[in-house]
Amino acid sequence: MAGDHVYATMRIILVCATGILQFGLCLHPLLTQEYRQRWLAVAAFIALACVTAVCCGWVLRRRPLPVALVVAGTAVVLAVSFCASAALAPDQRFQASDWSFGLVGWHLLLLLLDRVRTLITVLTAHLVTSMGLFLSAGVPDRATLGAAGAAAFGAVNVQLAVVVITRVLHWQTHEAMAVAEEKDRLVTRVLTAQQWEQGQRSLFADQLGSTLSLLAGLADGELDPRDSDTQRRCALAATQLRRLFAENDDMPDPLVHEVTACVDAAERRGVEVSFAISGAAVPVPSQVRHELTGPVVTALSAARIRARVSMLRTDEEVRIAVVADADDCAGLVIESTGRVGVEYRVYGEFLRLEARWRKQQS
Amino acid sequence: MAQATELSAVIVDDHPAVRAGVAQWLVTGTPPIQVAASGDDVRVAWAGAGATADVVILDLHLGGPTPAMGELHRLVQAGRRVVVYSMRADDEIALQCLELGALSYLTKAEGAEHLLEASVTAASGRAYTPPSLAGALAGDRSATRPALSARETEVLVEWFQSESKDFVGQRLGISPRTVNTHLEHIRIKYAMIGREAPTKAALLARAIQDGLVQVDDL
Repeated sequence: MAGDHVYATMRIILVCATGILQFGLCLHPLLTQEYRQRWLAVAAFIALACVTAVCCGWVLRRRPLPVALVVAGTAVVLAVSFCASAALAPDQRFQASDWSFGLVGWHLLLLLLDRVRTLITVLTAHLVTSMGLFLSAGVPDRATLGAAGAAAFGAVNVQLAVVVITRVLHWQTHEAMAVAEEKDRLVTRVLTAQQWEQGQRSLFADQLGSTLSLLAGLADGELDPRDSDTQRRCALAATQLRRLFAENDDMPDPLVHEVTACVDAAERRGVEVSFAISGAAVPVPSQVRHELTGPVVTALSAARIRARVSMLRTDEEVRIAVVADADDCAGLVIESTGRVGVEYRVYGEFLRLEARWRKQQS
Repeated sequence: MAQATELSAVIVDDHPAVRAGVAQWLVTGTPPIQVAASGDDVRVAWAGAGATADVVILDLHLGGPTPAMGELHRLVQAGRRVVVYSMRADDEIALQCLELGALSYLTKAEGAEHLLEASVTAASGRAYTPPSLAGALAGDRSATRPALSARETEVLVEWFQSESKDFVGQRLGISPRTVNTHLEHIRIKYAMIGREAPTKAALLARAIQDGLVQVDDL
């Protein structure tokens, strides 16, 4: 996720900043200034250092902080804030010896960076408590109050600025990621469309392959239209094309529609075809339909004068048979496919072909 | 006298062109069949010359939307030998006609050759199974259908697929006569199921006479 990266990076920066602030700026006053209860101040300092150290374990691995750690850490930090303030004499608050006020804010920021509402609430509570403690010791003079206000305002402002920057970065990254994702999706769509077009082209090239070379041969005069082999190739191509057109029609009984188209193509050549159907329409997968009608195309294109096409359909199987008079069956290529069994034999001047598809037992 | 032994038929069809064509086929066929009467109403088969014709060639769709199953039933109950000649290749209707007692069911896509053979065969009280009817029988999956042997089913399918008994014989290594015997056997099995009809009883009697079945088999 985009936002997680922003938060992870910001936390690393915060953990470093907190460490530098604590040991670079706050250690010095702790060691040099006078405190009401030094041990309490030192304990608070160590507790804060521990919170930072524990957070490092997750932050440096760019992992979000677990809820338990956040809750415990926030409680410890608030307690530290109270103890460190208590260790100070009232007139030392918001002065050089008050090292804890700003630092506690940074710790809270580190713990609650991605929970903005909680962060604001806790920061406000921290500010109100500190101010409360400051004012409870009696109303200070104007200069002291001004200095204290400026210190508190400065520290809180910088921390809020960090929150705002993080939110803006988070939002912008999110936007950028969305745009990039949309772009990726578009690229994928374009690629898919290109592949589909390629597939269609090669499919049609496959289906039209023999037709194109045949037409080219006829146009160039390489093939003689009077030649019986050329005539048979033309018959085959015409029947294949007719089936190709029928294949994609949306008909209630597509199998009959497709076979009728093949029969029609043969009849146009002058072959007398009788076509009989037994049984009602059964659902046939389009690939199986293609495999069933393929052999019919080949057999019909070889028919000379008469052909019988029959379709026998039951709940268990579909059988399409062609019995035709054919003078030269040597060149016919008829093969069984995976699902459709094709039986093909020549009896004298007749060829018989049967394509048979048995439904899978469900 | 030759005239007395000549077969006669009555044609019931609502299209004059079909009646004329069928009459022409019958008269010029071998053997020729006399057309006793023809008309667009089944009454021609009950009155006048039509009442005594050997065969009734009946179109199932006489103008109305529903097939004339009632007319067929009455004719068959009266012992008339009926060849149904229909526009529609509907397996279910074909099987219903056999159940009622029709001796043959032909579609109009099947030509003169089958109609002549069906008429001559029906005139002698025997059943004729044209290829389309064989297809309907081969695809019959009704619960009441008779049990056919594997060879009988093969004969039905091959006859439906090739329309040639010579070809069926060649394919299955049997004579065309044996092909016929199988087809007749199948029709006898069908005659023994379903409701009674005089033509069915006559068909069975004929089969015993022809030695196709034994009395004990019935």
